[in-house]
This record gives sequence, structure tokens and C-alpha cells, in this order.
Amino acid sequence: MKSLNTLDVISAPDHLLDSAGKKPIYFLLLLILLTGLGCKKVIDVNLNDADPQIVIEGNVLSTPGPYYVQISKTVNYSANNQFPAVTGATVIIRDITAGQSDTLTELPQGRYATKKLNGIEGRTYQLQVITAGKVYSANSKMPAAAQLDSVSFEKISRPGSKTDWYAVINYQDPLGTSNYYLFTLFVNGRKINNTFAYDDRFSDGRYVSRTLRTDSAYINPGDSVRVVMQHMGKEGFDYYSSFSQVTGNGALQTISPANPNSNLSGGALGYFIASYSSTRRTVAK
Amino acid sequence: MHSILEMQFGNIYNRFMKKFTLYVGLLFISTSLNAQNPLSINGTIKDASTGEVLIGASTYLLENPQKITLSNGYGFFSITVKAGNYKLVVSSTGYQSDTLSVSLSANLTLEIKLKPAGKELAEVVVSTSRKNDQVTKPLMGVQRLTMKEMNSVPVIFGERDVLKTIQLLPGVKSAGEGNSGFFVRGGAADQNLILLDEATVYNASHLLGFFSAFNSDAIKDVTLYKGAMPAEYGGRLASVVDVKMLDGNNQNFHASGGIGLISSRLNLEGPLKKDKGSFIISGRRTYADVFLGLSRDSSIRDNSLYFYDFNAKANYTLNKKNRLFLSGYFGRDKLGFGRTFGIDYGNSTATFRWNHIFNGRLFMNNSFIYSNYNYNIEISSGVNNLLIKSKIEDLSLKSDFQYFINNDNKFNFGFQITRHLLSPGVVEASATSSFNSRALPMKKAMENAAYINHEYAPFNNFRLNYGLRLTYFALLGPGTFYSYDSSGNVKETIQKNDGSPLVTYINPEPRFSASWLLGPSSSVKASFTRNVQNLHLLSNSAAINPTDIWIPSSNNVRPQIADQASVGYYRNSVDGMYEFFAEAYYKWMQNQVDYRNGAQLRANEQVESQLLFGTGRAYGIEWFLKKRAGLLTGWISYTLARTERKIEGINLGNWYPARQDQTHNLAIVGIYQLNKRWSLSANWVYNTGNAVTFPSGKYRVNGQTAYYYTERNGYRFPDYHRLDLSATLKNKPKKGREGSWTFSLYNAYGRENTFSIEFKDDPTNAERTIAEQTALFRWVPSITYNFKF
Repeated sequence: MKSLNTLDVISAPDHLLDSAGKKPIYFLLLLILLTGLGCKKVIDVNLNDADPQIVIEGNVLSTPGPYYVQISKTVNYSANNQFPAVTGATVIIRDITAGQSDTLTELPQGRYATKKLNGIEGRTYQLQVITAGKVYSANSKMPAAAQLDSVSFEKISRPGSKTDWYAVINYQDPLGTSNYYLFTLFVNGRKINNTFAYDDRFSDGRYVSRTLRTDSAYINPGDSVRVVMQHMGKEGFDYYSSFSQVTGNGALQTISPANPNSNLSGGALGYFIASYSSTRRTVAK
Repeated sequence: MHSILEMQFGNIYNRFMKKFTLYVGLLFISTSLNAQNPLSINGTIKDASTGEVLIGASTYLLENPQKITLSNGYGFFSITVKAGNYKLVVSSTGYQSDTLSVSLSANLTLEIKLKPAGKELAEVVVSTSRKNDQVTKPLMGVQRLTMKEMNSVPVIFGERDVLKTIQLLPGVKSAGEGNSGFFVRGGAADQNLILLDEATVYNASHLLGFFSAFNSDAIKDVTLYKGAMPAEYGGRLASVVDVKMLDGNNQNFHASGGIGLISSRLNLEGPLKKDKGSFIISGRRTYADVFLGLSRDSSIRDNSLYFYDFNAKANYTLNKKNRLFLSGYFGRDKLGFGRTFGIDYGNSTATFRWNHIFNGRLFMNNSFIYSNYNYNIEISSGVNNLLIKSKIEDLSLKSDFQYFINNDNKFNFGFQITRHLLSPGVVEASATSSFNSRALPMKKAMENAAYINHEYAPFNNFRLNYGLRLTYFALLGPGTFYSYDSSGNVKETIQKNDGSPLVTYINPEPRFSASWLLGPSSSVKASFTRNVQNLHLLSNSAAINPTDIWIPSSNNVRPQIADQASVGYYRNSVDGMYEFFAEAYYKWMQNQVDYRNGAQLRANEQVESQLLFGTGRAYGIEWFLKKRAGLLTGWISYTLARTERKIEGINLGNWYPARQDQTHNLAIVGIYQLNKRWSLSANWVYNTGNAVTFPSGKYRVNGQTAYYYTERNGYRFPDYHRLDLSATLKNKPKKGREGSWTFSLYNAYGRENTFSIEFKDDPTNAERTIAEQTALFRWVPSITYNFKF
């Protein structure tokens, strides 16, 4: 019966336009799996090792700081999911618009925190990381304010008469400019690992209601639901939309997976994104 | 009614012909002057029982057995010879040969009817002349499969399928498990030109590739050209699959059909007027969705998943010199999930043709061709109602001439004018929706070509086939066009208000092939071919996708060009029982298209900014051994090949294997006639797994495991192999009625071949990641009943 759940999820509109074309394939694939002709199993794959790469996650938000930069390294595929922290790095974030600079304080486990920096809409920020004699840097401009209006719910009944609940985000897209968004969904405090990155190519100036379609039903009546909306620049969307093509949703990802488009120079994985953020909390009912 | 039609046409025709004959007469005035003495024996070769014209039947004079002439796509042949008495031998595979005594004092036009060769158990006769076509004809990389062979080879779901059967030939790779998509000699899927009665079929598949668009009941002939095509074909780099529909029985009315687990077919054919005209109508529909409707659960019942298609053709012979054909195809797929999501898509084509024989030596065909592929997606979720539409539509005029100067010289020439209309996407949204209604601008392009081809036999053991195709492509206004810098940002906006060309490309495409006979039944051949492609398919999904988009060449996208050189050795056994060849090829490809990382290909007005361009190369050796007659027939096909791309921005600009790269590809096909009623068949395929990109490391970002990729397509799926079995039982013959049961088993030993591999966190151990393989089909049994009366 598990596959029937998936069938529901997959056939429903998610990234409406961009993934619309993939749906029939999911649909047919699932039908085949349902009929029992197909099968899944875990296999051994012999993968090459690769030299460890630097991974940088850096955010500047419109909410008060401190803001954090996380620096870690890749491991071989066959290794355990223990990702070494990069310590002792010099990490600086500059507010280029205002001409200020903030050298971050090192915290345990490769985490670095700003001391005084404030994220303000319209300003451009620059991250600089120096570690092991190499410099990694990126610029990101925080766009003008755009807020998450509310979170509502869409209920879809499915075979067996159980109802699936999905969070629906509602917001006004600013007219006449290109806008990019990332939504992060938390259910009862737990982050859901689906990447919801949208642009406004088809919804410029609209009041947008979109269902955050998760891989399987996570929300039950009474759950506390939190959604964070980050209004970001194109570099952020480029990162997260390419990230979503190589993670999550299973067997039919892009045929040529590649590392997400990063705005970091120097060959690091990850991102540095300044975003206008807003959060809405609600209880599913 | 027919006679009225005939009269009216006759009037128009007469007026037109006066002018036209003058024009063609002038063109050939020089050659006709020299050709006063020789006379022509010409005519049409037909199946005596159905009236279907026979393609590729061979004719020769017993007095001059080396000079074999094959009938063309309309069954027409022409032999030039001096006055005298001759014995004309006519033969075709699967038919009894016929020898006619001819006393020639003037040009002679014949209608020759061959009788099908005996009953099933009688050994299939290899016609004496055809047995050596493969050896003597200079064309390389050409393979024809008879419908009898197509119908005997086991396929998935028991659905006979021409596009799946050609995948068992050397140089052809399957696009995936049970899939009708294919790759030829390292070319991409969009580099195959698939023609149905001359009309381009843009998406030759149903149900995302699990069925081909072609109903084999309606098909007469399938020829595959693997790149080295004659000059009359063009527009794609890798191959031409030329599918010709049946004309319909002009002797008697027949109904035939089949009932299978997945679909049923019905085929009706008969004379419009005996010996003069006939029609054929074929339809099929799948009914997997009928079972969905039985469900008591509305969320299952509301789903749809089916396709249907129709082939129809009619032809009428006005007189000895004029024949008309009208053929059409319409196919539609519907996939729907409740009220939330639905897609329907399909091709429609129509071809009107007029054959005219000017004199015994000049044959003309004119075709008006229409082709359309479109899709509609409907999405409904909460307040969001959305309709997305896209289409590509062609309108063509094509004229082909075949001029049989003498037995050593034949010219083919002609032209084609095509108007393409491409609508990449229209989005219609309701007023309350989160989306804006929007139409991406329609693109209009002209693609014209003229060609001339000379088949020439300067010596008895040396033959040439060379020609030139000249193509003109223009992307026309009105519209807004963009040019982009190297990172895909708009550099310049170009406004075209009128219908003048934004950009034009003129490309000469030389075609050359030669054969040199080493002995009576062996030869070596060499060829060089340039092909140019001006329509490009944008597709970055693993399967055939109905929503993939065709784009024209433009100021940013240059025509794809492929140059292919090949050499081969051909040998038949003296009795024609065995046929063998080995061909080696090397192909250079320019202006190959790939995509930026994270490319947005759908409904993107600036989609060209998402593309990357580079070069490709493909090379390989193909071996083919076939047993053509006897109780056991079949073939062994083996290909050793490589195909790579080098594209700035991918794989650090280094060469990498294309997805369709396949080192080894082996297919063994056997068909055995056990007795009068039972025939058995089996095929076994083995090939190297797909070239795929796997992670070489992993990391954590936003608290989630992500994978680190290094080289493009640096890994392989596990090797693929599969055995299919099939048995056909014919019912006891009754007068005027035939029936047969076909039992088949796809993937007989249940090999779990890889369809996809997904890397993910181990759900049972947060410290580990796992690779999960999906296999699609294990042991697919099927049963089909076919009938004819």
C-alpha cells in the first residue's frame, strides 16, 4: 500500500510548470511497480573516492543576527555520515553597501557567527573564507521586502479514505521585478527535507497560493506547522533549484546530475545567500 | 462517383500536364536525343493476391543477368534495352519468381503480378537476385526488415513493434527497458528522422515510449538508414527510419485484427474498385484503464491511462500513368490522475501523393505533407487551474523524380519545401490562479532542400552512388529574439516586425558511396556522408517525454552537422542462405547541444540561454550474420562502439561518454518453424549498461545529505541482458478464415535489469547511505489472438 501513497503525491502538481512534464513518467513507473512487474532492491555500487572538498553554508537574513556560516568537508561515498568540520578558518562578511566589515567568531564544529552585522534589504554582502591558504568568496544582495502572508492547508483524500494534509503558502509577488523564493517547512519543529524553490516567471505580480508537496504525508491535524520564506536573489534560486534537481524525489531525477550552481568562487560547494526572511506558524486544522 | 472524380481530375490534370511536360521535356531534351534507339521495359510489380505494390522487387533480363533493377517505393521499375526478344525475370523475397517473354519493338509498360510463395512450411525462397542486393548496391548502413520478420520476433506485452525490432540490429541501441526509443551509431534520440509515408513523426511513441506510434497491421515496409542515407533524405544526423504504409487489398475485402492483454487492433481493407483502387483502415486502443473503471474507489476510477491510433490510406489508379494516394495517421495518448492532473498528446499526419510516369524512364512523385505533434497539460490544485499547450506543425511540398537513363545510369532528383510552426508553450490560467496567462511567441521557419543523386555503374564490378543535397534554413520573424553572452545573460534584443529571416543557413551535404565486387557474392564498400539538422529536441529526462520541446536553429543555435565515413565488407553464401557484413564507421559531429546545470527548459522564452554547445565523435564496428531461409532463420548482431561529447561548461571541457554510449551490444534472434502449426522464436540481448553520473562523495548542507559529483557519465549501470520467448500456434485452416495464438514471455529468466539507481540515506541507519535500484519488468507474460477473414 505504500506505493499508493506515493502515487498520490507524485501525480499532484508540485512545481506546477517545471516538473509538469515529468509527472507522466512517475505515474507510469508507479503503475508498473504497483502491478508487481517491477521491483526495487538495495545494491552495492563501487564508487571512486574523491579528494575532500570544502562545503560552505552562509546566510545573512533580515531578522536580527547573529548569522552563521558553517564550513565542513565532503567524505567518500562509502564513509559514514560524519562530515569533518573545518576549524581555524578566517571568515569575514562585509556589508559592501555600507562599507562595514565583520570578522566572525569561531564556535564549535566548524560554525562561525557574526558579531555585529545587520541584514538590511537592498544591501549587498560579501563573504570571504580563508582556510588552508585558499580563499573562497561570494557576493549576495538582499532583495526588497516580500513577506509570507499566511499558511493554510490543502486536504487531499486518497484510496482507503484517509486524507493527506499539505501546507499551502500564500504571499503577494511584487509586480514588475524578478523574484525568487525558498520555502522551508517545519512540522512539530522537525525540518522537512524537501526543497521548495520558486521563481515568478509565471506569477509576476500575482497573489500566489501554492501547495508545498512533500514526498509523503507528514502533516496530521493538530500538528504545529512553521514555514520560513526567504526572498532571495537569482544566485539563491540558481543554487536551490539545481539542488532540488539532484536531491529528493527519487528515481527519476535529472539524467545528468551535477553539483548545484554555487555562487562561491574558489571551487567550494555550498552557497552564500542574503535573503529577506519571514516566518508564519500555525496549527493544522 | 469514382468516374466523376476521375473526369474532373482528368481535366485539371490535362491542363497542368501540358505545361509541365514542356518543362520536364526541356530539362531532358539532351538525354532524350541520344536515347532514341534504346527502348524501355517498365511497369509496376504487384502482389497477385492483394494488389499491393512490391517495393525492392528485382528485375533483370536473362540475357544480361548482371544488370539488376529494383522496383522503387511505388513498385515501379524501368529497364533500358535495344529492340529484340528477351526473357524478363521478376522476383521478390517471399514470392514465386516469374519469367516473361518480351518481344520489344516499342516502349513496353507492364503490370506484373507475383504470387506469394507457397504455404508456410515451404522453404522461404531467397529470390535469386535479391540475395545479392546487399553485396552489389553501393549504399551502406541500410537495413530492411520484412513484416514477416517483424511479426515473428518476440516483444514485450506481445505487441509487435517495428521500432523495438530494429533495436535488434547492429548500431541501434534501445533507449531503455521495453522502450521504443532508440539511438543510432551514437546519435541522440532527436537525431533520428522517423517518416510515416513521408511525413515526419515527431514523437514516435505511445505511453512514454513503451509502445511505438506505429501499428504494425498498417505497415508494409520499414527501411533503416544509419547515417549514410541517399541525398533524397535529410534533416537529421544519425538515421532515417522510413516507414511505408500498406496500400490496402484491391482484390477482396478483408478484416483482420488481434486481441491482446494490453490492446486490441482491427484492420479493414478492400477494393474501391477492383484492380484500380483500394483502402485500408487500421485502429488500435489500449484498455488498461478499463480495469481502473471497475474500481469502487473514485480516486482510482477517475484516473485514465490509454492511447489509441488510426492509420488510413486510400489509393486510386487513374490510368497507366497516374496514381493517387491519400494517407493519414492520428494517434492520441491520455494520462490523467483524477481531476488534479492530466496530459494528452499525439501526432497527426496526412500525405497526399500523386505518382506520374512521364515515359518509361521518368517517374515522378509529388507529395503534400502535413504533420503535427502537440500536447496539452491540465493542472488543477486549490485555486490554481492551469492549461499548458505546445505544438509543432509542418506543411511540406515534396517532388521526387527518378530518371532511368539506362541500366548503368539512374538519376534521382527533387526538392522539398517545408514550413515549420513551433509553439513552445501557451499557459492559460484562471483569474483567481497564482499564475499569469501567457503565450510564448510562436516560431516560424522555412526548411527547403534540393537534391540530385546519380547511381552509376561504370564497370560491372564497380558502382557509385553519389549526390548532393543543398539545404536552406531560415528562422523568420515577426518576433523578439535574443542573443546571449557566454554565461547565458541577454546581450542583445532583436526585434523583427515582418516575416523576413532573422538568420539563414545554407548547407551543402555531399553524399557518396561506392561498392567494388570482389567476386560473385562478396564486395567492399566505402562511403562518406554529411548530414545537417536544423530542429533540435530539448530533453533532459531519462525516458521519452511527451513534453520535450523542439526548437529551430537560430542566431544562437547553429545547425548540427555530422560527417560520417564508413567502410564495410559484405559476403553472402553462394546459395543466398547466409548474409554477412561488417561495417566500421567514424562520425564527427558539430554544434551538439547540452544544457546548463539546473537548466529551465520548459515554457522558457529564453530557453536558448540554457544551452551549451560542443562537438561529438562516434565510432564503431558492426557485425551482422543472418540466415535467411530454412526452418530456422534469424540473425546475430554485434556492435562494438563508442560515442563521446566535448562541451565547454561540462566535465571541465573534457571528452565524456554520451549517455547513449554503449561498448558492447549483442543480439541473437532465432525463429524456428516447428511444424505446420507451431512456430517458435527467441531473442537474447546483452549490452553494456548506460553511461551514468554517480556521486564520488557526499556532504551535508542544511542538515541534509547531498552528493558530490565529479566526472560526467563516468560510471555504468550493471550490464543488461534478457531473453524473450514466443510461440505462435496457427488454428487449423478453414476456408477464408485464419487465426493464431501467440504466447510470449518477456525477460524469461527474470533478470532484474537496472532502470534507475537512487542514492539516499539508509532509513534503518542514519550513519549510512544506500544505492537503491529500480528494475521495471520481470517475467512479463502475454497472450494475443490474431485473426483474419
